[in-house]
Amino acid sequence: MSAQFITSVVTLVVIAKLIMVSCAYLILLERKVAAWTQDRIGPNRVGLSFGVLPIRHHCWGAGQPLADGIKLFLKEDYTPPGVDRGLFLLAPVIVVVPAMLGWAVIPWGGYLGWGDSVLHVTAAPIHIGVIYMLAIGSLAVYGVVLGGYASNNKYSFLGGLRATAQMLSYEIPQGLCVLTVILMHGSARADMLVNFQANAVWNAVYQPVLAVIFFTCILAECNRAPFDLAEAEQELVGGYHTEYSSMKWALFFMGEYMHMITGAAFFTLLFLGGWDLPLLSEPLVGGIALVLLKTGVFIGKVALLLFLMIWIRWTLPRFRFDQLMRLAWRGLIPITLLVMLMTGVMVFLQQPAWVALVGNGLIALLAVWLGPRIPQGAAINRRVPLPGSRFCPPKPVNPTS
Amino acid sequence: MPSIPAADPFSHYAPIGVLLLMAAAFGLGNLLLTSIIGPSRHGKIKGMVYESGMNPIGSAKRRFNVRFYIVAMSFLVFDVEIVFLYPWAITFPSLAPDSELAPWFLGRMLFFVLTTLIAYAYAWRKGVFRYD
Repeated sequence: MSAQFITSVVTLVVIAKLIMVSCAYLILLERKVAAWTQDRIGPNRVGLSFGVLPIRHHCWGAGQPLADGIKLFLKEDYTPPGVDRGLFLLAPVIVVVPAMLGWAVIPWGGYLGWGDSVLHVTAAPIHIGVIYMLAIGSLAVYGVVLGGYASNNKYSFLGGLRATAQMLSYEIPQGLCVLTVILMHGSARADMLVNFQANAVWNAVYQPVLAVIFFTCILAECNRAPFDLAEAEQELVGGYHTEYSSMKWALFFMGEYMHMITGAAFFTLLFLGGWDLPLLSEPLVGGIALVLLKTGVFIGKVALLLFLMIWIRWTLPRFRFDQLMRLAWRGLIPITLLVMLMTGVMVFLQQPAWVALVGNGLIALLAVWLGPRIPQGAAINRRVPLPGSRFCPPKPVNPTS
Repeated sequence: MPSIPAADPFSHYAPIGVLLLMAAAFGLGNLLLTSIIGPSRHGKIKGMVYESGMNPIGSAKRRFNVRFYIVAMSFLVFDVEIVFLYPWAITFPSLAPDSELAPWFLGRMLFFVLTTLIAYAYAWRKGVFRYD
């Protein structure tokens, strides 16, 4: 039992509890932001009194998450007879567990000086931190696929298929973004990446194109709008969780929100400098007060990103499936590859980091100019001109009728 | 920048095990609790597959469009490439500034990416990336 292990476990438990509570309140925030966007008031009926305590104020609906949780527990947990029972039960757990495992390597509060030793305020300060986050994050695909496949429902099956294709496609640009950040600093340790940014300028300043692409990929990875094709209500009812009820459904739901939190923390550590505040030079190692302050800064950045995600969801319309795949395969992958090659050459020529900013701008201009000019390639789908389909030639208009 | 030592291997990886236990307990505990607390009623109509109110036609385990298979194949090409590039990305910036190895490292990476680009251009011409 080393001091580091005890610090790690304390961080782990505190952060896990914090995220579980904030996950519940994130759902309330989502509903509130939706209401503000649509000029409504939002949930404000469930206060904190629950008919027992003498609190007369409505507390802006602060009791809503708790009431929702109790309601979900009291609902019937129904397993339809036709499903693949084992996989059906396991799928929600497989969605939640990877989302939670991602928190392990995030350097929440820098380092704690304890006596003459330096302790990481991270659950698991491993060498391959960011690669671990990518690896764990991509495991969540299994939960969605198994949930869709085991349900024995056509809506679920189609939702699962779509979700798989989407998550696989957006994993490649995400991986290339992480690769480029590693290439800039020569380390895959999460805490070292934050240190480099705290000593210089945030990566989002040097690689803005990459930051935007990475944010897009996070949205697609946790099936958020405008990429929520897998659960498009108008087309697929509930998508891969059509047949789920009660707490099993809630686990899928919580998995999505936990993925949002993990993704936002990942973005913060790669591009927004982790616990670093601009224009202030914090000491790298400090006492408990400094660690708490840094954790607060980190959580504040994550909260801002979460608000941005919710804002995007209630502002932008959903993509069509072919637009979604085209964006990933013909847009994001070539651009991230170009940025990666540019950064590699930059590192080789020992150029200062602001060259990356110029390169990013040039690549963005090139992509905007070249994108519409590249020929599309052959169509692989046969278009059958069935009457009534969109491939049917329009009927000649009869002028006499 | 002062160099911060990494922790010993046990402290590295043991907390991930603790978190895994916590996460699994959270998920399975929720499943168990809700199946104990909630009501349970069964019926023939209730057990039917939901298909917007129609009687279900056939099983859901059916053939699917081959384009999803192509997505998986092209994902493999790119993802394996990225996995091979991680060690390169970690070692390349820490080479000595005027090391003889640096051009070799860059050249190998460029060749490696070039092979993938050929595959990418081929797939593009074949219309693999058309989903309309």
